[in-house]
Amino acid sequence: MTESSVDAGVLARARARVLGAASQPVSEPTPAGLNTASDGERLWLLPVWPDGATPALLDEYDTAPMPMDRSGQARRVLAAALRCCWTRLDDAPWPGEAVPVPAVLEVYAGMSRGDAELARRWATGELRRLSDTGWLLLDESTGVVRPGPRVALWHDDTLGPLRDLLRRLPEPPQGVIAGE
Amino acid sequence: MPHHPSEPAASGPPTLDDALVGEAVLGVYRQMFAALARDSGAVVDDPELVDVAETLLAAFADAGEEGLSREQMRYVCRRYPAEVFENRLRVLRGLGAVREVFPKPNQLRYRASFTSVVGLMFVRRMMLDGGQSEMHRLLALEQLNVADPRMTPEQARDGAAGLARAFRLWSVELLTLTNGTIEELREQAPKLWGTEEILRRAERLHGAILRRWPQLDRACTDLRTAIYAYGDASRRAAARLSDSAGTTRNLTLLPPETWRTFARTASRDDLAAVLEGFVFDAAAPWHEPSAVVQAVEDGPRATPPRPAPPRPSVPDPGLSDDTGGDATASERLRAVAEQALRGRDRVAVEDVLTEGWVTARRLLADLSSAHLHPELPYRLVWSDGLAVRPEGSPTWISPGVFEKTDAERSNA
Repeated sequence: MTESSVDAGVLARARARVLGAASQPVSEPTPAGLNTASDGERLWLLPVWPDGATPALLDEYDTAPMPMDRSGQARRVLAAALRCCWTRLDDAPWPGEAVPVPAVLEVYAGMSRGDAELARRWATGELRRLSDTGWLLLDESTGVVRPGPRVALWHDDTLGPLRDLLRRLPEPPQGVIAGE
Repeated sequence: MPHHPSEPAASGPPTLDDALVGEAVLGVYRQMFAALARDSGAVVDDPELVDVAETLLAAFADAGEEGLSREQMRYVCRRYPAEVFENRLRVLRGLGAVREVFPKPNQLRYRASFTSVVGLMFVRRMMLDGGQSEMHRLLALEQLNVADPRMTPEQARDGAAGLARAFRLWSVELLTLTNGTIEELREQAPKLWGTEEILRRAERLHGAILRRWPQLDRACTDLRTAIYAYGDASRRAAARLSDSAGTTRNLTLLPPETWRTFARTASRDDLAAVLEGFVFDAAAPWHEPSAVVQAVEDGPRATPPRPAPPRPSVPDPGLSDDTGGDATASERLRAVAEQALRGRDRVAVEDVLTEGWVTARRLLADLSSAHLHPELPYRLVWSDGLAVRPEGSPTWISPGVFEKTDAERSNA
C-alpha cells in the first residue's frame, strides 16, 4: 500500500490518532471525524468520543482508565497552571493566556506543604508531562506556559466546581507575572 | 584459529549456555568417530581436548619442516593444564597424528600428520553446518561425477546405492521423531529445514543417472523410493510440528533463548513489523475537572492542621448540672413575661417597648419566644396598621397585645 493510494484526509486522521494532540496550520483542510481546537494560528486535532462522552465515563462503568503515575500531583500542577492562565473564569479555559512558568511554580509551591524548592522541581517535571499529553502548551525556550488543546474538550457544565476551586487558590505573585 | 564457543572462558565464568554448546559439539564428535572408537572411552569427553589438538596442528603448520620440540609444543599449549596436554599428546602420538620427524630413539622433534588436519577440518565443517549441508555437497559432487565422461556404471550404481541408504536412514530418523515427543521434534526441527531443495537436487541426480545409464533402473528405483520416503517423512514431521504450534499458539517452536536473543538484538523496525498496519490512538491520560478539584482538595494543605487542644490535668468532673435544658429556658421566659405583664392579663406591646431599641429588641425577642413556646400560656396578637413615630425609639410599630391565654387565666 503506497502513500499515494491513500486519501489525504484518512492519512491525516491516522497521523493525528497516532501522535496524540497533533497540530497543523489553520489553513490546511481538517480531516473528518476529529475534534478540533484552534487558537487562531494553529489547529489541534483531538479525538472525538461517541455521544459526546468523555473518558470520565469509564468511571461509571468501573473500567480502569489510562494508568498514570502520581495523578494527584499532575492534577494539582494542572490546577496551578490554570489558576495563572485562566484569568477570566467566566470564559472557557481555552485558549487562555500565556504566563511565565515561575508564576505557576510559585502557585504550586504555595498550594503544597514542605520544601518549596522540591515542589518546584516536581512541578517542572509535571509541566513537561502535561505538555507531552496536550494538557498544557509549554514553551521551554521562552519559559511560558498556556492551556493545552485538550482543555477545550471539557464540557462547559462540568467546569463549575473547577471555577470555584480556582477562585480559592492563592494568586500568582504579581512580580513574577510581570517578568521580574 | 577460528573462534570456538568452548574456548576457556576469557570473557567471564562459564555459563549454562556454554555447557549446552559444548554438549552439542561433543555429540557431533561422538557421531563422527563412533565407527572408529574401540569403546566409549576412546572418544573425547571434553571439547577442550579437541582445541588442544587444533592449537598443536596450527603451531606445526607455522613451524615448517623443522617441526616442533616437546618444549615448544608445551609452550604453544601453555593455556591448558599440564596433565591435559600430556594426555592429549600421548593420544595423538598413539593414533599417529603427531609423530617423530625421524623414526629413531630419543628423537626430540615432532611433525604433524596431514590427514589429521583434514579430518579436523571436516569435523569443524560438520559442526558448523550439520549433516544436511554435507548432504547438499554430496549431491552436488555426485551430479558432477555423473556428468564426468570417465564415470563407469558401477561407480554410478555405488553412488546411487549410498545416497539411497543415506536417505533411508534419514527418513527412519524423521519417522522416529514424528512418533516421539513433540519436545524432541522441536529440538531436531532444523533437520526439517530446506528439505525441498534437497529433494529437488536428489531427483535431478536420479534423472541424470537414469538418462545416462538406463540399465541402472533397479538402483534408480531404490534411490527414487528412498527419496520419496524421505519427502513423506519430512512432510509428516513438519505437519506435526506446525499442528502443535498452531493449536497451542505457544511460542515454543523455537527455544526460549532464541526468542530472547531476537528480542534483544532485533532492530526497532523488526519488532514493529508485527503490528504494521494497525493504528493506535496515542495514549493520553484524561483529567476531568472534578478529578482536578478532588486532587487539589485531597492534596497536602499549605497550612498544617491545627493541633488538638491540650487536655486538662485535673480529672474530668463529668457533665455539669446546667444543661441549658428546656426547663431553664422556659422558666426565664416565664419570668420575663410576668415582668412585662406586671399582674395584668394583657398589655400593649408598645407600652412595654419603652426603652431604647437595643434593649427593646431583646425584650421583643423574649416575648416572641414565649408566644412560640408550646408550654407557656402567653401569646402575641398583632393587629393591622402601622404607627409611624419619628421621635420614638422604634420609629414605627404595629399595634399589638401581649396576653395570657385563656387556660392560664382560668387557672389563675
